[in-house]
Amino acid sequence: MDINAVNAQIDADIREVNSPGALEQFRLKYLGRKGLVAELTSAIPGLPQEERARFGREANALKSKLLGLIEEKQKAVSGSPGQAAPAAGDLGLPGISQNLGQLHPLTQVTDEICTIFSRMGFSVMEGPEIESEYNNFTGLNIPLEHPSREAFDTFYLKDYAKMLLRSHTSPVQVRQMKEQKPPLAIVVPGRVYRPDAVDASHSFMFHQIEGFMVDKGIKFSDLKGILEMFARAVFGNDIRMRFRPHFFPFTEPSAEVDISCIICKGKGCSVCGRKGWLEILGSGMIHPNVFQQVGIDARRYTGFAFGLGVERIAMLKYGINDIRLFFENDLRFLRQF
Amino acid sequence: MKVTYNWLKEFVEIKIPAKELADKLTMAGLEVVSLEEKDGDFILEIEITSNRPDWLSVLGVAREVAAITNSKLKTKIQKPKTKTDKANLKIEVEDKKDCPLYTARIIRNVKVGPSPGWLSKRLESVGCRSVNNVVDITNYVLFELGEPLHAFDLDKLNPERIVVRRAKAGEKITTIDGETRDLNSAVLVIADKVKAAAVAGVMGGKESEVGPATRNILLEAAVFDPVVVRRCRQELGLQSESSYRFERGVDPGMVEQASLRAAQLCGEYCLAQEASFSSSGSSKSKARSVKLNTVQAAEVLGIAIAAPKIKQILSRLGFRIKQKAKNILAVQVPSYRQDVKLEVDLIEEVARVFGYERIPVSLPAIKPQVTLNTKRDLASGIKKMLVGLGLSEVITYSLTDKATLNSLGVDFGAQPIAIMNPLSQEQEVLRPTLLAGLGRAVSLNFNQKQEYVAIFEIANIFRAENKPKEELTLGIALSGTKSCLFEQGRVKDEAGFLKLKGIIDTIFARLGISGYRLNNQGSTVEIRIQNERAGLMLSLSPQALNKFNIKNKNVFMLELSLDKALSFIRQDKRFIPLPRFPGISRDISFILKEEISAQEILVLLKEKGQPLLSEVRITDYYKGSQIPDGYRGLTLSCFYSSNERTLAENEIQPTHELLCAELIRQFGVKLR
Repeated sequence: MDINAVNAQIDADIREVNSPGALEQFRLKYLGRKGLVAELTSAIPGLPQEERARFGREANALKSKLLGLIEEKQKAVSGSPGQAAPAAGDLGLPGISQNLGQLHPLTQVTDEICTIFSRMGFSVMEGPEIESEYNNFTGLNIPLEHPSREAFDTFYLKDYAKMLLRSHTSPVQVRQMKEQKPPLAIVVPGRVYRPDAVDASHSFMFHQIEGFMVDKGIKFSDLKGILEMFARAVFGNDIRMRFRPHFFPFTEPSAEVDISCIICKGKGCSVCGRKGWLEILGSGMIHPNVFQQVGIDARRYTGFAFGLGVERIAMLKYGINDIRLFFENDLRFLRQF
Repeated sequence: MKVTYNWLKEFVEIKIPAKELADKLTMAGLEVVSLEEKDGDFILEIEITSNRPDWLSVLGVAREVAAITNSKLKTKIQKPKTKTDKANLKIEVEDKKDCPLYTARIIRNVKVGPSPGWLSKRLESVGCRSVNNVVDITNYVLFELGEPLHAFDLDKLNPERIVVRRAKAGEKITTIDGETRDLNSAVLVIADKVKAAAVAGVMGGKESEVGPATRNILLEAAVFDPVVVRRCRQELGLQSESSYRFERGVDPGMVEQASLRAAQLCGEYCLAQEASFSSSGSSKSKARSVKLNTVQAAEVLGIAIAAPKIKQILSRLGFRIKQKAKNILAVQVPSYRQDVKLEVDLIEEVARVFGYERIPVSLPAIKPQVTLNTKRDLASGIKKMLVGLGLSEVITYSLTDKATLNSLGVDFGAQPIAIMNPLSQEQEVLRPTLLAGLGRAVSLNFNQKQEYVAIFEIANIFRAENKPKEELTLGIALSGTKSCLFEQGRVKDEAGFLKLKGIIDTIFARLGISGYRLNNQGSTVEIRIQNERAGLMLSLSPQALNKFNIKNKNVFMLELSLDKALSFIRQDKRFIPLPRFPGISRDISFILKEEISAQEILVLLKEKGQPLLSEVRITDYYKGSQIPDGYRGLTLSCFYSSNERTLAENEIQPTHELLCAELIRQFGVKLR
């Protein structure tokens, strides 16, 4: 077959192409598996030795030319009338998709808070829900017979002496400080339990996040700095904060942390009890007695600790008014987050 | 606790309005939770933390006001006059530890009657009911000075001696509230020679109560051991303003002054005459001295507060300071500050009064420890996969009741762990399974008219072993029918075991868990990973459905121990080169007896198809009018390929024919 003849045929054919369909026909005619180019190439082995190379080159040149022409024509014919792309139809019909489920709002808030602290360099650790009386109380400078225990009413296990369901995530402080040497920067999310009668703002099971940092030269001003970063990350840059002196057995000095009410911006409303402030967490410098219990030298190291209730933060953040909703698991509730 | 603005003014000069005072107190750690104007006075309700019993009085709050407003305390309290007649009364204290100090003042010829208006009004403003002048005076002094007092009708007591002792077994007392209470040796009582007359530090007895007929009184002012009072209160389930203060610790230095103050008021308002006084124990304790290094204070707080300021703050709070060396102060702690033991306690006092808001903000240099792929990370990854598969996460209570567990009809191995002090039966045990909580959530959602429920929870389950054991577990529940809209219209999609299997397949593939098997036992399927039992799938029995009140629906559940499953994870992925040569795909359609498992077919084909068959998949299964009863149709797609060359049709033909022949020979299938 004469390559020049094919060449002329190509030039003639391409002029006739004016739709994507015709272009595809053109492509198949020349470049298809049984097309002319394939035919030419398959003829090569039958040629005399001296012609093979030249013929091969010409066949390749032909192929490049075809590819070039097709590409060029592609631009010309696409968008041309004749063959329309499918129309969108009635977009009032529901879209088709795999329905995603969703993470529980408490998981979302926990993850968000842990991520904030992770980005500041804290590690996320967990601890057991069944704890010893020592880790839950004594190791944290909470004497067994003391009014400060009143705030930590506790479920005890029946058949295991001095074992209980942790009433806060702070026992993980004791565990981690015994296990690892400073410097430490750790946050601990988890379930905690207190025998409270269930109502709109109380639950016998709830979630806390504990955080603590121990190193040489850790100061109260560092605690303020870290918690301010955290609160702004969760509640926005325009909130105001205040640190109020308070008492926790395991920290000294201790502070409760309030943010300006996110609903009324501090003017006073029903959410903040007309105070203009919302309490979001408890904190303080780790008590030397706690360091002593875990064997950290309080003359060389200082540290801070803080704890917050995940339900509380979620309720504020989403405007949820009843803590029981978190544990009812009504899909109409869960799907809102 | 409530105090009033005017009452405070009797003890300290206040130049700021009540609202501003309330704000300042809040920011000093005495959180004012409400401020109410009443009859020209302001009532401040303050939340007092358990470490500060000294704040449980007007005097205590006034001291704080003096410190934070930098003004002076008016010393209204007169020191006890020397030499009151010693009463002819013997006081016996059985154990000094229970009662380090006991004083009794005898006041004669009192005229019991209504209190003067100012007194009853003031008590009422702090939430205390007026009884009569004598009782009101004891309460007034309690609120004013923080020292609980008790007045006995002296003539109702055996006058020989007062005994402070533990109650005897079988002993009873009727307290002022009219309840008769059984006592035991945990309870400390004030008794005369014959019988108990009061529960120490908690409540007086009805019999010796001061009433209109009372002529002579015995006025008790004492210090009782906090732990003993706490136990008494718990034992009797009885709380009072007195017990509240004794439990937290009262100031021994205030006992005699309080007694004297009450006696003076009795003289003034009850026409009382003559007083005599006896005491046992001492009000003098060695004052504690705590060292304060001002450099250390600056290091802990992140701000250097000038030494004169530190001294001023501490002395306004009643501490006495001596400069020991440069930067070192020796701080003597007053008797009402039993909470101050360490240097940090002083640092907190300084910071508190100085103002936390004036401490700057800084950021520490964190030396991070990077941890990846912790159990929490893996669980979190699984949660995200499940959400992608359309499941919603739930969080259910870890505590449950035995009846619900039993209704599941599943053997969970060990007994559940029992709770000693549940508030209700629904909290009697820690759950050994997630399935009960999931069942309740499914039920609730069907009640809310959901048609399809697909939920999961990842949480600990608990088992009573030698030690109580926690196991991180995944639970899934699927139930109902989902209506899916596709291009061709509505398709109904029912929950079932294969959906559970699909979830497991997906998760395990992602985590690199291989070699798992599903052991079909009918309505229960055991999940084994490399021969270890790791979980189960089940459909709820009619009894269980009944217990959860689920009607006309089947519920399919899965429970998988993540602690076990995660130990089989292979995350070390290796690249496998992509096939270099195209392969050929061939379908086989046939019908076969229903009881033959598709798994057996696949195993056979994989074995007989070597070496050309590289993959075989089930692409369709069906039943219907064209298929005889007891049979089902199956379509398989066989993929043949080679790593060395492009296979030709005629090369795979013998293998494909062999596979068809084997299917007929071994399983009697009918090709279609």
